Amino acid sequence: MTQHVHDEDVVTTGDGPAPPAAEPDRPAPSPRVAGTIVACFTALAVGVSVLGGDLLNPPASTADGDYEGETVELMIPLAEGGGTDTWARFVSAELTEAVPGSPGLAPENDDGGEGILGTNHFMSSARTDGTEVLVSTASTVVPYLLDVPAVRYDFSQLRPILANGTGAVVYARTGAGVKGVEDLVDRDKPLVFGGIAATGLDLTTLLAFDLLDADIDSTFGFEGRGPVNLALQRGEVDIDYQTTSSYGPAVDPLVEDGTAVPLFSLGQVDEGGEIVRDPNFPEIPTVVEVHEKLYGEQPDADALATYRSILALTYTYQKALWVPEETPDEAVELLRSTAEELGADPAFQKSAAEVLGGYPIDASPDLAERIGEAYRVDDDVREDVLELLESDYDITID
Amino acid sequence: MTDAAFSALASLADPSLLVMLAVGVVAGLVIGLIPGLGGTGAVAILLPVTFGMEPEQALAMLIGALAVVHTSDTVAAVLLGAPGSASASVTMLDGYSMARQGQAKRALSLAFLSSMAGGLIGAVGLTVAIPLARPLVLSFGSPELFMLTILGVSLAAVLSRGNVVKGLTAGFLGLLLGLVGTSPTTAEERFSFGSLFLSDGVSLVAVALGIFGLAEIASRVGQRRVTERPVELTGGWGSGIREWLTHWTQVVRGALIGIWAGVLPGVGATAGTWLAYGQAVATAKDKRKFGKGDPRGIVGPESANNSVEAGDLIPTFLFGIPGGVPSAMLLGMLLTYGIQPGPAIVTEHLDLMYLIIWAFAIASVVGAFLCFMATPSLAKLTKVPFAVLGPGLLVVMLLGAYQEGGQLGDLWVMVVLGVVGFFLKATGMPRAPFLIGFVLAIPMERYYYLTTSLYDGAGWMARPGVLVFAALLVGPLLWALVKKVRGAYGAVDDGHRSELEELPGEDLEGSMAGTRWSFTVALVAVLLFVGALWVSGSFSEEAQLMPRLVSFCGLVAAGTLLWQERRNARPRPPAAAEPEPLPSSGSTVVASRVDTAADPRVEARRRDLVIAGRTFAAMATFLVLVALGGYLAATLVFVPVFLLYAARARPRTAVVYTLVLGLVLLSLPSLLPVDLPMGWLQ
Repeated sequence: MTQHVHDEDVVTTGDGPAPPAAEPDRPAPSPRVAGTIVACFTALAVGVSVLGGDLLNPPASTADGDYEGETVELMIPLAEGGGTDTWARFVSAELTEAVPGSPGLAPENDDGGEGILGTNHFMSSARTDGTEVLVSTASTVVPYLLDVPAVRYDFSQLRPILANGTGAVVYARTGAGVKGVEDLVDRDKPLVFGGIAATGLDLTTLLAFDLLDADIDSTFGFEGRGPVNLALQRGEVDIDYQTTSSYGPAVDPLVEDGTAVPLFSLGQVDEGGEIVRDPNFPEIPTVVEVHEKLYGEQPDADALATYRSILALTYTYQKALWVPEETPDEAVELLRSTAEELGADPAFQKSAAEVLGGYPIDASPDLAERIGEAYRVDDDVREDVLELLESDYDITID
Repeated sequence: MTDAAFSALASLADPSLLVMLAVGVVAGLVIGLIPGLGGTGAVAILLPVTFGMEPEQALAMLIGALAVVHTSDTVAAVLLGAPGSASASVTMLDGYSMARQGQAKRALSLAFLSSMAGGLIGAVGLTVAIPLARPLVLSFGSPELFMLTILGVSLAAVLSRGNVVKGLTAGFLGLLLGLVGTSPTTAEERFSFGSLFLSDGVSLVAVALGIFGLAEIASRVGQRRVTERPVELTGGWGSGIREWLTHWTQVVRGALIGIWAGVLPGVGATAGTWLAYGQAVATAKDKRKFGKGDPRGIVGPESANNSVEAGDLIPTFLFGIPGGVPSAMLLGMLLTYGIQPGPAIVTEHLDLMYLIIWAFAIASVVGAFLCFMATPSLAKLTKVPFAVLGPGLLVVMLLGAYQEGGQLGDLWVMVVLGVVGFFLKATGMPRAPFLIGFVLAIPMERYYYLTTSLYDGAGWMARPGVLVFAALLVGPLLWALVKKVRGAYGAVDDGHRSELEELPGEDLEGSMAGTRWSFTVALVAVLLFVGALWVSGSFSEEAQLMPRLVSFCGLVAAGTLLWQERRNARPRPPAAAEPEPLPSSGSTVVASRVDTAADPRVEARRRDLVIAGRTFAAMATFLVLVALGGYLAATLVFVPVFLLYAARARPRTAVVYTLVLGLVLLSLPSLLPVDLPMGWLQ
C-alpha cells in the first residue's frame, strides 16, 4: 500500500511546479503549508480508495434464505428508455419487492456495442453471490449465436432466473397490391421490407421470408420499428413486422381502415419444440401454415429447424435475467421460485400486462434446461444463418 | 374536448399532484444546472421514485422536470461557456459573449423569460398540434428529413461567427467524428480501428463538454482575477422584462419553429434550435452583433429549445417514437401503467394528455420564474476568478460526461476534444457547426441512404418539401451573392463576420487566426480528411457512401482554407519575433520562454499556449489518478494541488474547497443517479 502512496505523490508533484509568475499577484503558498495540505489530502485519498471500498461493501449473505439488507445490482447492457430497459426495470422492481428480505434495487445501464460491452463486463466481473443480475435480449443473443468476435460471454456459463417471450406479426400495405399471403410470391415488383439491421431482431423475419421464398427487397437503416411503421403509412416501404406489444396501437387502426393487411405471425415454439400459433394472435396463421397453404407441403426440414432455433432464441426466450454460474444454488433457487410465484400472481399479471406484452413470466424449475437447449445452437444452424446473411444481404461476420 | 381540459386543470388543484409537480420542477432545475446530466439525468433520478405512484402523479413529476431542464441548462452555457447539450450551444453563442461583457444578468433574464414563453407556447402548441400531428408527420418522408439535417448543419456553418469556409470545415470535421462507430445501414464498424469502445461512436456529452467546456477552462484558467467589466443592469426586474418584451416576435417565432421541429421524429430537437437562430439572423436588418451578444440571438433559440420539448412529446405519445432518451423513459413509464402510446391515446387517455399539457405549462412558468428570481445570485458566479472555479468545474463536467456511457474512455476522448476545441477556438474556427455536424451525422446518413434506396432516381428532389428546404438553403446564399455583385459588399450584410476587428482584450477567441497555428489547423484538417478518404476505401459499398462524401467535401473546404492560410505558412516580416519554429503538433507545447521585446500579441499567445498546455496536462494527470484510485481519491489529490499552485488560492480556501467538493462527491451517488468512476486500486 505504501508504494501506491509514492505513486500518487510522484504523479501529483510532477504537475506541481508553479506556473511562471508573469503577473504580480498573490505569491505561491509557502512550500511547507502547501506540502502539508497536499500530503494530508493524499493520505485521505488513499484511505478512501483502499479502505472505503471494503467498509461500504460488506460481503453479502444471500444463501441464508433471504436478501435482508442486500442490494441487487441490475446490469442493463442497453440504453435507458428502450424496450429492454423498461421491461428489465419493471420486472426486477417487482421481483426484488417479492424476494424475502426485500432487497434494494440498483439498475445500471452500461450501454456499449449494442449490449455486447456491458454483457462482456458482467461475464468478467460480476459478483457471484446472487446480488448482480444481467438482462439479456435479442441484441445480445444474436451476436452470441453468430459468434461475433467481440462477444466474450457465454450463456451456457450463466444461470437463468426467469425468461419472458414475445411474438411478432408480419403485415403489408394494401396499396402495394397485397391482399393476402398469395401476393408474397411471384411478384412483378418485389415488396420493399424496412429493417433496422439484418444482424438484430430482423433476422428472424428475414429467415421467415427465406422460408417462404417471398419476393422481398430489404432496406436496412431505419432507426426503429416505429419509424418503419410510419414509412409504411407513407408508402415508402411495403412490408413490415411489429412485435406483440406495439402491434395493437400501431397496426390495428391500419387494418381497420384497410391500409394494411396482416399476413402471418412468426409463431411460438411450444414445450415440445413445435411451432404453434401465437396465443396473442390466435386468428393469424404462422409462417409454417402459410408455407403449407402456398406450396401444399411442410417447409424443408433443415430450413425449418434453423428457423425454429432462431425463433426460440429471439422470441420465445427473448428476454431473460441471469446470474453467474458460481452463484450459490440457494440464492438462484430463491430468486427463481420467487419469480415463479410472482408470475402466477393475478395482481402482478394484471399490472404487468402491457410490459410483458401478453406472455407469461417463465420461471418453472425446468427453465434452465429448456433455455439451455434453446441456446445450444447447432453449428449447421449457424452456418445456415451466416450463409443467408452473406448470400442475400452481403454481410460477413469476421 | 374543453371539458377534459378543464377537468384536467381541476385535478391539478389536488395538493398531492401539485407537490409532485413541484418536486419535479426543483429536481429538473437542479439537474439542468449540472452540464452533462440533462433530461436523461432528470428522468433517470425521478423514475424509480415514481414506482408505486398513480400515473397522474408520476406524469406530473416527470413532465415537471422535463419542462424545466432546458431552462436551467442555460446557466452553464451562458456563464461558463459549457453547454451540456447540442441545443444549449446555440444560446451560448450570444449569451456567453454577453456574459463576458459583464452583462450576465441581462443574458440570463432574457433567456429565462424566453424559456418561460417557449414552454407556454409549446403547451398551447401541443394542444393544437394533436389533431394535425398525424398528417404533418406522415408528410415528412426520408427525403425531407434528410434535407432537414443538411439545413441544420449548413445553418450552423454559415451563421456561426468566423468565415464560411472555416464554418464548413468545422462542420465537416464534426460530421466525420459523428461517423465513427457502427454504420446505421450495414451495421459495420467504421473508423473504430478494432476498438469496441469506439464502435459505439463517441459520446455526445463528451463532445459537447470537451469541445466547449474543457477548451474554455484551458483558455481561461490563467485568469486569476476577474477581468470582466462589471456592468450592472440598472432598473431591476422591470427593465429586463421591458427589454425582453421588445423582442416578443422573436420569442413567438422561435417557439413556433421549436414545436414544428420537435414534432418531426429523429432530427427535430437539434435542428430546431438552429433553425430558430437561423431565422433570427436572416430576418434581422442589422446582423453585425450576432455572435457578440445580440439579445435576439438569445431569445429565439431559448424559446425554441423549450417548445421543442413540448413538440417532442407528440411523436412520443402518438407514434411511440421518442425524440430522445428522456422521452423514451417517459414512454417506458407509461407502459408500466398499462398505457400504450399510439393514435388511440388521444381518445382513450385524453384526460392524461391534458394533464401533461397543463403540467408542462405550469412547470415552464414556475421553473423560469424561479430561475429569473435567482438571476442576480447566479450572475455573481462570474465574479469568481476562473482559476478557482476551474478545478471544481472540471471535476463536475468530467463526472457528468462519465454518466452517459460509464466508461473512462469517454473522459479521455473529452480531454482530447478539449485540446481540439482549444485550437479551433484560438484559430477562430466556429465550434458550433462541429457539434451540430457531430449530432446530425448519423441521421443524415440514415435518411440519405433511405432516400436513395426507397426512391427511384432523383425523383425525390422534386418533392415539394424538399424544394422548400432547398430554397431555404440556397436562397440566402444567392441573396448574398446578388448583393455582392451589386456592390453592397460588406455594407449591410456579412457585417457580423469581422472577427478580427474586435477589441483586443484577453479573449482567446480567434487570437491565433492568421498565424502559423491557424495554418497548421487547416493542414491537420486536410490530412484528417485525406486519411478518412483513404480509410473509407475499405468499407463496404453502402457504408462508404457517406464517409467518402463527407471527407471529399471536407477536403475541398479544408483545402480552400489552407489556400487562404497559405501566406501564414512562414513567418511574416513584421511578426519575425518568433525565433525558433514551434512544433506543428498541438499537444506538445514546449514552454520556451524567450524574453524578447516581442509584439505583445505574440507574447500573449505564447502565454495562452503554455497555460493551456499545462492545464491539459493537469487534466490528463487527473484522469490517470482516477484510473488509479477512483474519482473521489483523485479529486482529493488533484484539487488542492491545482488550487494551491496554479490558482494561488489561500491555503484555507483550498482546504475548505476540497473538503466541500469531496463531501459533495461522497453524497452525490445517493442523491442523484450518478456513478463515480472506480479506480484500479479499489
